[in-house]
Amino acid sequence: MPRISGVDVPPNKQVQYSLRYIYGVGPHHAREILKEAGIDFTLKSKDLSEDEVSRIAGIIDRNYTVEGQARRHVTACIARLRDIGCYRGMRHRVGLPTRGQRTRCNARTRKGPKKTVAGKKGIKELHRG
Amino acid sequence: MTRSQKKGPFVHEKLYRKVMQAKDTGVNTPIRTWARRCTIVPEFVGRKFEIHNGNRFIPLFVTEDMVGHKLGEFALSRTFRGHSGGRKR
Repeated sequence: MPRISGVDVPPNKQVQYSLRYIYGVGPHHAREILKEAGIDFTLKSKDLSEDEVSRIAGIIDRNYTVEGQARRHVTACIARLRDIGCYRGMRHRVGLPTRGQRTRCNARTRKGPKKTVAGKKGIKELHRG
Repeated sequence: MTRSQKKGPFVHEKLYRKVMQAKDTGVNTPIRTWARRCTIVPEFVGRKFEIHNGNRFIPLFVTEDMVGHKLGEFALSRTFRGHSGGRKR
């Protein structure tokens, strides 16, 4: 099981997919990294040699922000939005969607599990009435 | 959708001129504006604005972090006083 940037990547997947288990590496970065390392995308990650693993790790260390650092970056960006008092920041503060989505119904990802309110009309009644 | 890079940021010309003028004369009285769609450019940093929210003017002191946002983002145009029946528990 290869370990890259402090994360175990799944051994039975192609490297181009298994690299995406590292936070901050998506489809695009995964391919970029492999291209630079000169490794076949479709190789299973358990078949990587020691040398290849260290080459990948080196490239990630040098050119990419991943894991803890990437996470911190995201938190910092959100903290900035909160601090300056802009609309997006306020939405973050109250835990509602920030990109102008409707909140009359849905928006469950941001709002969390449903809290039932007595007397509130559901969407079905609204359509009927 | 994001604005085209080619066009560059949108800045309200008249407001920009006003800001520069205020900078030259060294006065920092709040600038009243309705130009909510105007991007905050680095020149605005340290200036005071009063941004119209459709009803009244919301005071704003521009800091460096605000560069790149629009003026309107800092003057809410909606009032939310909470839902009816609230404050249980």
